[in-house]
Amino acid sequence: MAGYLLRRSLSVIPIVFGVTIVTFFLFNVLSQDPVIVKMGKYGSQAEMDTLRHEMGLDRPLFQQYLFYLKQCITFDFGRSWTTNQKISQMFLDGIGPSLSLSLPAFSFSILLSLLIAIFLAAYRDRVVDKVVMVTCLAVMSVSVLIYIIFFQYFFAFKLGWFPISGFEMSWLTRWKYIALPAIIWIFTSLGAEILLYRTAIFDEYYSDYVRTARAKGLNEFYILRTHVLKNSLIPIVTVIVSQIPFLYTGSLLLEAFFQIPGLGGMTVQALYNSDFPVIKAMTFWGSLVYIFCNFISDFAYTILDPRIKLQ
Amino acid sequence: MKSSFLILALLLAACTPFKDAYENYIHDTLEQSAKTLDPIHSNDAYSSLPQGQIFEGLLQYAHLERPLKLEPLLAAAMPQISSDKKQYTFKIKQGVYFHDDPCFKATNGKGRELVSEDFIFSWKRLADPKNSSDGFWIFDSKIKGINKWREQATKKGVTDYTLPIEGLKAPDRTTLVITLEKPFPQFLFMLANSHAVAVPSEAVAHYGPEILNHPVGTGPYVLKSWIRGSKIVVTKNPNYRKEFYPSSGETVDQENGLLKDAGASLPLNEGVVFHEATEDKPRYYNFRKGNFDFAKLSKNSIENALDKNGELLPELQKLGIRLSRWSDLDFSYEYFNMKDPLIGSNKYLRQAISLTIDPDDFVAKFFKFRGEVAHGPIPPGVLGYNEKIKNPYNHLDLDRAKALLAKAGYPGGKGLPPITYDINNNANDLLIAQLVQNSVAKIGITMKIVVNSWPEYITKIKSKRVQMFSMAYTADYPDGENFLQLFYGPNETPGPNDSNYNNPTFNRLFEQASGLSDSPARSELFTRMVDLILEDVPLIPHVHRRALILTHAWLHNYKRNKMSHNYPKYLRLDLTEKSKLKKNL
Repeated sequence: MAGYLLRRSLSVIPIVFGVTIVTFFLFNVLSQDPVIVKMGKYGSQAEMDTLRHEMGLDRPLFQQYLFYLKQCITFDFGRSWTTNQKISQMFLDGIGPSLSLSLPAFSFSILLSLLIAIFLAAYRDRVVDKVVMVTCLAVMSVSVLIYIIFFQYFFAFKLGWFPISGFEMSWLTRWKYIALPAIIWIFTSLGAEILLYRTAIFDEYYSDYVRTARAKGLNEFYILRTHVLKNSLIPIVTVIVSQIPFLYTGSLLLEAFFQIPGLGGMTVQALYNSDFPVIKAMTFWGSLVYIFCNFISDFAYTILDPRIKLQ
Repeated sequence: MKSSFLILALLLAACTPFKDAYENYIHDTLEQSAKTLDPIHSNDAYSSLPQGQIFEGLLQYAHLERPLKLEPLLAAAMPQISSDKKQYTFKIKQGVYFHDDPCFKATNGKGRELVSEDFIFSWKRLADPKNSSDGFWIFDSKIKGINKWREQATKKGVTDYTLPIEGLKAPDRTTLVITLEKPFPQFLFMLANSHAVAVPSEAVAHYGPEILNHPVGTGPYVLKSWIRGSKIVVTKNPNYRKEFYPSSGETVDQENGLLKDAGASLPLNEGVVFHEATEDKPRYYNFRKGNFDFAKLSKNSIENALDKNGELLPELQKLGIRLSRWSDLDFSYEYFNMKDPLIGSNKYLRQAISLTIDPDDFVAKFFKFRGEVAHGPIPPGVLGYNEKIKNPYNHLDLDRAKALLAKAGYPGGKGLPPITYDINNNANDLLIAQLVQNSVAKIGITMKIVVNSWPEYITKIKSKRVQMFSMAYTADYPDGENFLQLFYGPNETPGPNDSNYNNPTFNRLFEQASGLSDSPARSELFTRMVDLILEDVPLIPHVHRRALILTHAWLHNYKRNKMSHNYPKYLRLDLTEKSKLKKNL
C-alpha cells in the first residue's frame, strides 16, 4: 500500500509537468496576442510595446515558461490581466458560490437517481419502468437552457416561490438563491443518471448469483444491500468520481442566469479576455483535482471489491 | 436519510417570502460584470458606473442639459483658458473631503481635504507604464510633457512620481494649471472621463495593488460590499459636501417633473445596488417584479413589453411602468479594410456592396424600435451631427450596384474571388452577416463568413488580416471629432482607425478642424469630411442605436445620459408609491 502510494505520488510529477507544457504552449505560443485584446481601441505600436514589456511577454519563451513553472510550484499565479485581482483570491471568492450550488445538487441528484434506479430494478420491463425510461429520455432530449428559462420564468417570476436571481454571501440567506438553480441541476441530471444506474443495477440484480441467493431464501433487502448494490457500485463510482473535478467550476449557464458569482463564469470571462494567468491557474488546479479524484476512485475500488488490489 | 430531510428543509426555507435588504436603495443593473473599481483600469461602462459613484473629477455632464454640456464638479468653476487655447487654469472647490478610510493614518482614518496636487498624482498614476492603464489615451500627446515623463519611466524601469510633468502645475492648494502640447478644444471632455478622477496618494500607498477593492474617493457614495459577478452596493457618504439638484434644464423637464427636486441636497437616495445581471430574461423579470427600478429593453425582451407599433403594452402602463427612448450616441457599421489589396483599392466594389443592403430592412430585422438608419458616422445628440447628410450608397439599388460592380472590373461578379467577412462569435452578428451575404449574392458576389472568438477577431482586425468586418462604436465624448478620428490616416490600426482609411484630403480637413471649437466653420469641415467618407465607402454605416428604458412610477428624475456615470445621485424613490405598486407586480 505504502509503495503504491509513493509510486502514484511520483507519477503525478510527470503528468503535472506535461500539463504545464501543454498549457504554456497553448496560451503563450499558439494563442492570440493578449496585448491587442487588452489594449482597447486607442492602441499604438509604442503603447503595445510598453504593455508587452510590463506583461513580461517580450521575454524569451523559455524564461516565460520557467516563470509559469515557478507560479505552479508556489501556487502563486499573480494577478489577473483583466481585473488586476489576485488570482488566488479570485479562486477563493469563486469556489464557495460554485460549490454551494454544485455539491448539494450533485449529491442529491445521485441519491435520488440511485433510489429510483433501485426501485426500477424490481420492475424491469413493467409499465412503470418503461414510463420512467421514456420520461428520462424525453428530459434528456431538451436543452438545459430551456429548463433554466422555463423554471426561472414559472417558479421564480410567475409563482414567486424563489428569487429570480442574485446571491448573498451569508450562508443563512444564500440558500434562497441556490435553491432554484439546484433544483434545475438535479432535474436535468436525473435522466442520464437514472438510466446509467439502472443499467448497472440491472446487470447485478438479474445475475445468477442473486437468483441463487433468492432461492436460498435470503430477504430481498439483504440481497439488494449486500450483493446488488455493492457490486454495481464500481461503474457507478467511476462515473461519480469522474464528475467531481467539474464540480468546482459549477455550471456556467446556471451561474449566468442566476447571478451566482462562481468559477464557471470567471473562467469563461478569462477565456473571452485572453486573461492567460487566470486560464493557466484554472487549468493547473483543474488537472490537480482530476489527478486526486483518480486516486480516490482507485482506493474506492479496493473497498468495494476486495478482489482488486493496489499494485 | 437525515441529509435528505435537511436539504428538504432548506428548500422549504428558500421558498419563504423574499425580502429586499436594500428597499431604500436604487436598484440599477450592469449588463456585464464590473472588472475593477480602480479608475485607471475602468475602461468599460460596467466598471465606470459603480466607480462613478465613489470618485469624482473636475467636471461632469449636466444632468438635465441637452445637448450635453459640461459643468464643474470638483472644480469651483469652469477653467480660465489662455488666449492660445493651450493653458487651462482651474480653481478646486474648497471643503471637499475624501471618504473616511484607514489609509489616512495622519488623521486617524478621517478623510483629508482634496488639493490640486491630488489630480497631478492621479494623472501620473494613469501615465505610469507600470500600471498598464488603458485609459492613458485621454492625456496621450495632449498634456505637455506627459509622454516624456512616461518614456523616462519606461526607460528607467522605475517610476519617479516626484519628477514633474511640464504641463501639470499646482501653484497652490486650490489651483491647477494644465498646459497642452497644442490646442485641443475637446480636452475638457477628457476631464469628465472616468479615468480622470482624484485618487488620494495615501490610499495607493496603503493598499498597493489591492486599491481595486478599496476605492477611496470624494463621491456621494462609499463602497459597502461587492460580490464579484453578482452585485455591488454603494451607500450614501455621510460626509458628502453640499451639492444640489439642478434648477434648470430643457423646457420639457418642467412638464416631465424633472425639476421638482430643484435645489434639493444630493444624493437623493440612501444608496445604489448595481446588479450584475448579464442575461436579458432574468433582468427583465426582475424589473417586472419591481426588484430593479429601471431596465434597458434588450432585443430578447421587446416582445414582453411592446406592442407591434413599439408602444408600451397597456397592461404595463396600468402598472405605472413608463417607456422612454434615448439616443445612445453610437453607430454600428460594416468596415472594409482599406489595406486589403482587393477590397481596399476598389471603391466601386465597396459602393456596389453598400447598395445591395436595404437599411430599413436591416434596422427592422435587427434593431426594431431600438435604432434608426445611420447616414454617417456622427450620431444624433453629438456636436457636429448634421441631419441633412444623406449617404448616397445607403439604400437598396441592385441595378446601380450591378453597374458599379461591372465598373469595378467584375461584371456579374465574374472573376471576383469570395470576399471574407469576419465576425465575432455571437448569434446576432452571424444573422447580420448572413443578411449581408444574401444581399451581395444578388449581384453575383460570393461572401465567406468567418466566425471568430473575440481574441481572434480583435487580433485579426488590429493586424489588418481582415477584408470586411462589423463593429459598433460608442462615443467617448459627445463631439463629432471623436467619431471622425476613426478615419484619420495617422490613427490607423492598432490605433482607433480600424478601416485604415487614409485620404490626404480628409486628413488635412481633420487637422484643420481639430483646433476649432464647435462653430459653423467646424461643422462645415465636418460635413466635408463625412461626404468624403461616404463617397469612398471605407464603411457601410447601418444604425444609430437607441436605448429603450423602462422605469417604474416610483422612480423620479431619471434622464438618460450615456456619457454620465454619476446619475444615480439625482434619482429619488417614492417609497409609499413603491410599496403600493409592488403589490400588483
